[in-house]
Amino acid sequence: MIFKRELKRNLKSLIIWSIVLSGLILLTLSIYPQFAEQQKEMTKLLESYPESIKKAFGMNELNMGDLMGFYGVEIYMMTTLLGSIYSAILASNILAKEENEKTIEFLLSKPVTRSQIVTEKLLAVLVNILIFNGISTIASIIGFQFAKDPDVPTDTFSLLIVATILLHLTFGAIAFMLSSLMKKTRNILSISLGIVLAAYFMNVMAGISEDLEFLKYFSPFKYVDAASIINDNELKPLYIFIMAAVILISIFTAYMVYRKKDIAV
Amino acid sequence: MKIVDIKNLTKTYKKNRGIKNLTFSIEEGEIFGFIGPNGAGKSTTIRTLLNFIYPTSGSATIFGKDIIKHSKEIRQDVGYLPSEVHYYDDMKVIDLLKYSAGFYKKFNPKRMKELAERLDLDLHKKIEDLSFGNRKKVGIVQALLHEPKLLILDEPTGGLDPLMQNTFFELLAEERKKGTTIFFSSHILSEVQKMCDRVAIIKEGELVKVETIENLTKKNLKYITITFERAEPIDLKLEGIVKKEVKGNEITLLYSGDIKALLNKLNALPIKDLLIEEPTLEEVFMHYYEKGGVDNDF
Repeated sequence: MIFKRELKRNLKSLIIWSIVLSGLILLTLSIYPQFAEQQKEMTKLLESYPESIKKAFGMNELNMGDLMGFYGVEIYMMTTLLGSIYSAILASNILAKEENEKTIEFLLSKPVTRSQIVTEKLLAVLVNILIFNGISTIASIIGFQFAKDPDVPTDTFSLLIVATILLHLTFGAIAFMLSSLMKKTRNILSISLGIVLAAYFMNVMAGISEDLEFLKYFSPFKYVDAASIINDNELKPLYIFIMAAVILISIFTAYMVYRKKDIAV
Repeated sequence: MKIVDIKNLTKTYKKNRGIKNLTFSIEEGEIFGFIGPNGAGKSTTIRTLLNFIYPTSGSATIFGKDIIKHSKEIRQDVGYLPSEVHYYDDMKVIDLLKYSAGFYKKFNPKRMKELAERLDLDLHKKIEDLSFGNRKKVGIVQALLHEPKLLILDEPTGGLDPLMQNTFFELLAEERKKGTTIFFSSHILSEVQKMCDRVAIIKEGELVKVETIENLTKKNLKYITITFERAEPIDLKLEGIVKKEVKGNEITLLYSGDIKALLNKLNALPIKDLLIEEPTLEEVFMHYYEKGGVDNDF
């Protein structure tokens, strides 16, 4: 019941976000053929960029003339960042909204356990994130067809998609935990978005300055860095482990808190 | 069989007053009033019974099941009407009722339509567009729809116009005939008097007394204001005057005696105006605190 209701309630925002991201992906990939043709001049132009900018966006390690490299620099930034923002917004609302709008008094008077509420809402977050990524992946595959040589290595591309989903789930889980802890949705939203943006900029800063390189360990964006995935063709087990741990701890905390908390509106 | 059995139930908050050592029980099939001024702990008690909040100490059972361990099972057979109803704004009335019904084992669309019709509720309106009273009606249908064995009503008549209140009381009377137990929380003495078999009186988080309505109404306490033509000392002595206050040409009485005797007496006096009212709860409380404690004949 709750799961179905949450899918329905969040459908509109899922559609809007999917359309916007897919549109951006298709638009960006549609300029790739011209980009590849004028690759030499483009490469020269890019080389004239300040070193720090190139580093910040991983341009120094990826070949933009190659479709996978182009994806890694241009598209991947959008899917990871926008998707993380979407996940944070989605998850930060989902539990607390009932308390904030006092509908929880209705829900709790029905024959459901607290755990059931958490489980069904969590499932709704998971399914929404998966659908969102499914759509953006399809958009990318369609976009690849613009290129003269639309083939990308399937294993590398799959790794990038898995990494993106893991990243979204990480931020989603953190926001979900906050949603169980706090009551005011506006505050939760601000904090969740703050975490996503702070993580993103820490990653950028770590790329620019060697002094700030230590920051990368605090940023999940670094864990799913496109350059290292494309060049090494692997997702580092340590990073997978850290993200999985964050996800599990957040979810566990959400269950513990929500089951025991006093919910008075 | 005891439908609700509360033992030493205590809930303390950091700031707010909670409830202290509540102990009482509700028998099967009775309408049990729960009365006290705002902030006395009525809603806290109800929320604890439904496990929205956890008790600090003490315990309670509903249908013989523990309110914490078996909360879900209990709620399968409970209908709850909160004092303020808040529903999902994006839903129509019918969406909400169907969503609500989906949680229970049985759903009877015919009953939904009948209830809505009796309460004059439009099922196809958006909840967002409903007035406070109409939202309350959605709450009533939602609480009655699955034919619960126990109805918990928290200030149920707030927002309903007198005509609707009557319909609502009729509905409750029908439920009672079917054997439904009703826990009726209110701060309005008269409606509790009208509906209930027994009442528990709560004040500042503590149970003052559990009493049958019969004993309550035997007292038949009235609050009487008499205005005289002139401000002159009038000797008004009558059996049943609990409290008397004189202010200029106005006398206020708390009176529990025979109304006829009072009227006969007044008939001979130069009175200008007369007002007979239900005493407020506060006055009722005052009444038996003055008489020295709670174990009185009230």
